[in-house]
Amino acid sequence: MTQRAAIVLNLNGVDHAISVEPRRTLADAIRDDCGLTGTHIGCEHGVCGACTIIVAGEAVRSCLMFAVQADGKRIRTVEGLADGEQLHPLQEAFIAHHALQCGFCTPGFLMLSLHALERDPDLGDEELLDLLASNLCRCTGYQNIVKAVRGAAAVMRAGVVR
Amino acid sequence: MTDRTPHQPRFVGARILRLEDPRLVSGQARHVDDLVLPGMLHLRLVRSQLAHATLASIDVSALHAGFPDALVFTGQDIGALGIRANSDLPSVQPCVQPILARERVRFVGEPVAAVLTTDSYSVEDAAETVFVDYDALPVLADIETALAPGAPAMFENWRGNLFIEQSRTGGDIAAARARARHVIRRTYRNQRQAGVPMECRGVIAALDPTGRILTVWSSTQIPHLMRTYLAQELNWQENRIHVIAPEVGGGFGVKGHVFAEDVLVAWLAIRTRRPIKWIEDRREHLIASIHAREHVHVLEAYVTAEGKILGLKADITVDVGAYSVWPFTAASDPGMVAKVLPGPYDIAAYEATYRAVATNKCPIGTYRGVGRPAAVFSQERLMNEIAIELGIDPITLRERNLIGQFPYTNILGYTYDKGSYAESLVKIRELVAPDVERARKPEKPHIRIGVGLALFLEQTAHGTPDFVRRRSPIETGYESAKVEMHPDATVSVDSGLQCHGQGHETTFAQLVADQLGILPADILVRHGNTVTSPYSVGTWGSRGITLGGGAAHRAAGIIRDKLIAIAAQHLQARPETIELADRQARVKGDPTRAIGVETLARWAQRNVENLPPGMEPGLIAISFVDGPPDGSYTNAVHAAVVEIDLSTGQIKLKRFVVVEDCGTIVNPMIVDGQVRGGVVQGIGSALWEHFVYDKDGQPLTTNFADYLLPSAPGLPDIEVHHIQTPSPVTPLGMKGLGEGGAIGPAAAIANAVENALGVPVQETPITPSRVWELIKKRKPIAAGGV
Repeated sequence: MTQRAAIVLNLNGVDHAISVEPRRTLADAIRDDCGLTGTHIGCEHGVCGACTIIVAGEAVRSCLMFAVQADGKRIRTVEGLADGEQLHPLQEAFIAHHALQCGFCTPGFLMLSLHALERDPDLGDEELLDLLASNLCRCTGYQNIVKAVRGAAAVMRAGVVR
Repeated sequence: MTDRTPHQPRFVGARILRLEDPRLVSGQARHVDDLVLPGMLHLRLVRSQLAHATLASIDVSALHAGFPDALVFTGQDIGALGIRANSDLPSVQPCVQPILARERVRFVGEPVAAVLTTDSYSVEDAAETVFVDYDALPVLADIETALAPGAPAMFENWRGNLFIEQSRTGGDIAAARARARHVIRRTYRNQRQAGVPMECRGVIAALDPTGRILTVWSSTQIPHLMRTYLAQELNWQENRIHVIAPEVGGGFGVKGHVFAEDVLVAWLAIRTRRPIKWIEDRREHLIASIHAREHVHVLEAYVTAEGKILGLKADITVDVGAYSVWPFTAASDPGMVAKVLPGPYDIAAYEATYRAVATNKCPIGTYRGVGRPAAVFSQERLMNEIAIELGIDPITLRERNLIGQFPYTNILGYTYDKGSYAESLVKIRELVAPDVERARKPEKPHIRIGVGLALFLEQTAHGTPDFVRRRSPIETGYESAKVEMHPDATVSVDSGLQCHGQGHETTFAQLVADQLGILPADILVRHGNTVTSPYSVGTWGSRGITLGGGAAHRAAGIIRDKLIAIAAQHLQARPETIELADRQARVKGDPTRAIGVETLARWAQRNVENLPPGMEPGLIAISFVDGPPDGSYTNAVHAAVVEIDLSTGQIKLKRFVVVEDCGTIVNPMIVDGQVRGGVVQGIGSALWEHFVYDKDGQPLTTNFADYLLPSAPGLPDIEVHHIQTPSPVTPLGMKGLGEGGAIGPAAAIANAVENALGVPVQETPITPSRVWELIKKRKPIAAGGV
């Protein structure tokens, strides 16, 4: 497994030229090769969703994707969510609704929700629960996460989205 | 214990958004896995594939051939280092868990060999080439097998496979039995499960260039205890070991232990003089960190015709797996059950025998609530069964047995400070009344509705005497904080606690801000670092806010007194007439006579010529707060409303209501969050989570597809109601809260299922297949009651 591929990961608008083994997961490449450690690894088998990011407009579990598959694609991670000091409505809503405790799963929930709300800010309650079933949180009991995403959706619908 | 409240609290009691959140929602938190050190080696463990075997040989020739740069260490290299978690209670059979197995393995996942390379992928390749030859031994996969006559002993010089067997008694149990009209005997079982934080464990250790300082970054809840253990085991001086718990992604008790991996990584860093990193993967976490629960309780209640319990006899057996864990030991879970079973009831005679059985499974350690979720399941199931057998309304039966007056000293000698047991029952009765009505007349013929409740108390913030009695390695019950006001009047608080979601950075700042008349935003709370904080016992046991927060409050009070003394001289006023508020020291009722806290802080450190004669410069204080001797007793009642589909066995949780009393509330938003999160963990315990082993001791639930955690759908909104009965024996009347949410749900849900079907529930998890079996035995809808 010593053969390596030269690829470019475009993370939140910044190109990272790296050299990786073909088997290297996207999550590991983002964290270890590019140094963006906000994407967390919770299970490495695609169930917990802590590593959820957006690749070429799709929410993906970065532990289930190889870095080479993301070569040249536009990737968004939690580090790109805020605009400088100005937090994104989703981030603000998570704080306002106490939707995190230890915060380890939070980047995954934020990116999962971001993808869904950018696609459809009118997401109904049932659809929202279905969506949030994708990821695991062990601290909050989910109630406040549901409220936060609902709250952020209202703000995003009102057109505050950047 | 007296604590002056300086003035009307402004921040204590307020719903303040968490100060720690911005970094956590921005990907700026730094966990162990996020740290990279130059020259770092990655560790992969070769783990036992058999539950019980002798190690015939470990062949590393393929590893050396394929990975010439890899390093490998086995039990022979590391020698006698181990996890020694033995109390000196008389019946204890001591054991040592080797850091790397020597001669014998005792559970699937036990570390056998350590492999090091320079990256996290190649090290897994290299570890796979290590060939371990085992000679299988008979497997003790459950309590019955382990205790069967002739079963092989788990450890040398052991007689029988018990870590401990003890009893606790009070009152005259024989007389209670003789006087009883009814003897009600039941057996209850809880399954094996675990805390399962979303961040797995991780450790990095590195020597400084001089080789004199060993720094260990660990995702631990107990940095100081870890330092002490490492120093003892590695024979290092404590001042040369720094333990840092950086951001920690959840703990729930799992990370409140010193593990073999912690000692191993530290030893490897010393041995190789290279930084060593070990990050647990999820499979390792699920099979080889620690598990929790797996209890069997046989209870016998001696009851009068009116339903008064005269005596309670308990036989408590816990399958604690292969080793005793540090610092809580193998006695922790069964001992806790034996201690807490009398609960909020006035029981005059009690006899409990508890034992910890050694089996070839992952060791049992602490998980939110420790023995209490199982104890309360049994206690509150028993209360329901007594009520049903005697034809008494379950709430009424509880009321007849409740403690009446406070303080109350129970049959084992524990004194309960002050609670609201009776009020909470009244309140829950009102809250679930509509559901009780619905349960009597369900609208759909194939749906049954049930309402169940669990009343319990939780001893929190235990003081030193409680740990002295346990004679476990914890030994002590205090907590500490260091508070320093800087020349610009900003403040640092250093707590030895480790915060992994509890919000200490906010709640401690609220406590300190009220003392010093400044804003929470002026205060930086640091934690989880033995370099910067005084000695601490750690974050577990629902002790953080009461003891750690209490220590921060007291230390801030010392600084407050000093600021006031300086102000008093300047303002020519008596100290007792001065208050600190709005970043000012001012004479009460005379706003013209005031001086800024910032000026006072600068004088105390930069312009010390302005200080009163004889006053030492500086604004730093340390406080140690020990818990009350018997702790402080939080209480709660949980109620569950379920709907059961008779045609499918599906169980739907329609409502979950909590009435809790944790005394003085510092931040209601955080309290509600802790309650809700705990309840959902308890719902997982009640319905889904189960570590399953086969008869060969092979774990069958090794990933998140097989081990089912609660997820967003299928959960009701958890309704939380508060009663605040401040404790007379803690700082500001605070009581611990962290664990309570997880304690009641299994009992409340089981009681609700019983209420719906008229059939008792004796075991968790209450899976659809179990519900299906209960449906087959269902009785007609009962006349009433919860």
